[in-house]
Amino acid sequence: MIATRSSNLWVIWASLVLALLLSVSTLPRFMEIGRPLWLALFLTYWVLAVPHRIGMTSAFCIGLLADVLNGTLLGQNALILTLITFLVLSLHQRLRMFPMWQQSMVLLVVFGVAQLVQLWLNALTGNRPPTLTFVLPALVSALLWPWVCTLLRAVHRRMRVN
Amino acid sequence: MFAVLSAALMVVDARLTVLHSVRSQLGLIVEPVYWLGRLPVTLWESATQELSSRNELAAENEKLKAEQLMMQRRLQKLAALTEQNVRLRELLNSSALVDDEVLATELIGIDPNPFTHRILIDKGEKDGVVLGQPVLDARGLMGQVVEVMPYTSRVLLLTDTTHSIPVQVNRNGLRAIATGTGNPERLELRHVADTADIKEGDLLVSSGLGQRFPAGYPVATVTEVVHDSGQPFAIVRAVPTANLNRTRYMLLVFTDPRTPEQRAAESAEAQEEVDRRALEHPDAEAPIEDAPPGEAPQEVPPAAPASAEEPRQ
Repeated sequence: MIATRSSNLWVIWASLVLALLLSVSTLPRFMEIGRPLWLALFLTYWVLAVPHRIGMTSAFCIGLLADVLNGTLLGQNALILTLITFLVLSLHQRLRMFPMWQQSMVLLVVFGVAQLVQLWLNALTGNRPPTLTFVLPALVSALLWPWVCTLLRAVHRRMRVN
Repeated sequence: MFAVLSAALMVVDARLTVLHSVRSQLGLIVEPVYWLGRLPVTLWESATQELSSRNELAAENEKLKAEQLMMQRRLQKLAALTEQNVRLRELLNSSALVDDEVLATELIGIDPNPFTHRILIDKGEKDGVVLGQPVLDARGLMGQVVEVMPYTSRVLLLTDTTHSIPVQVNRNGLRAIATGTGNPERLELRHVADTADIKEGDLLVSSGLGQRFPAGYPVATVTEVVHDSGQPFAIVRAVPTANLNRTRYMLLVFTDPRTPEQRAAESAEAQEEVDRRALEHPDAEAPIEDAPPGEAPQEVPPAAPASAEEPRQ
């Protein structure tokens, strides 16, 4: 009974910390331009699964941590993640009904928009990639979505997070 | 609301210095996270090291010994040259520094954004690292410190698109600005006249004119000079001498915090002091020269000085 009553929130935060780790882990040079948006992927899952637990505030806090880790302007990743959470929350009802591949398509657009905003913010600080490769992480993340979703759902069920 | 909040945070962070201390304290979490993130790589590297065969190690040892021999030969020459340089500079009454203090440091992380060239090193505020401090590897300049946290700091590499460094051609002293291109193997020289004397293979060294980097460290080697009559300036490409994307160990340089003007003023004072002493030369040196004859009578019989004076007179 106790196990079912406690909402096991630490699982969510542990997975988000794991995502933070993955987002700064070392990758071979050629893979680095396509580094998946781990944080956005994990956050999206939890926002879809338990919207009453994980919302814009959590996204903002996690974003600030990511900013410190990446050495970007304080608030940049926070803004991006809040934006993603906002979009996912507003599409929430429909997204949950969609089959997996359709979710991926929608998330491709959402992550693409986020990457575009990221590009603008980087350009404001004088750092602009010369090519279209900045959308590559969005594409990779969308392709990874079914796997991440399945994995996290298993964890979600197993640990009875709610 | 969060959008406004984060926008405000960004502006404050970019324009004011209020948040910098907060940031540097939050930076405490950076090191463990990067350490964990690197863990698979570190484990893999140590595993390959453990499992590398004896033959490989022996070969590497051989190679390193040969390299060391070469280095030592060069060092012998260098010692003589440094000595000569110091003497010549003294003659010229120059205020330039010959040697700087350094601190060894290790790479612990690379910026996950592939479009910025920044790395994380394992020395921070507690080790005396300051903002703008130059970083070198064994072959040349690598970049400068842009963010200092308690135990770590972030280094902006020369090849970042937002980085430029004043250089000069080692062969003839021609000055230029080397700008990063976002490609780890390439720098570009800005605004070099078409007629400028610069050619393939020229070594570019830091000129120290920006007062941020110490003068005389190798920066890059010119690989290509393109004269396009449609362009107002020559296109000069160079490859950094430092191994920007391979080096693990680096050196932090502690340069003299005084400005060149202060240094010049101080060395001028020192010179005046010397000159003043030189003016008092006869008084100051006479007793020193007289001393041996003064002491001499105790050891040598008085006849000796007398005999020495007689032939002169």
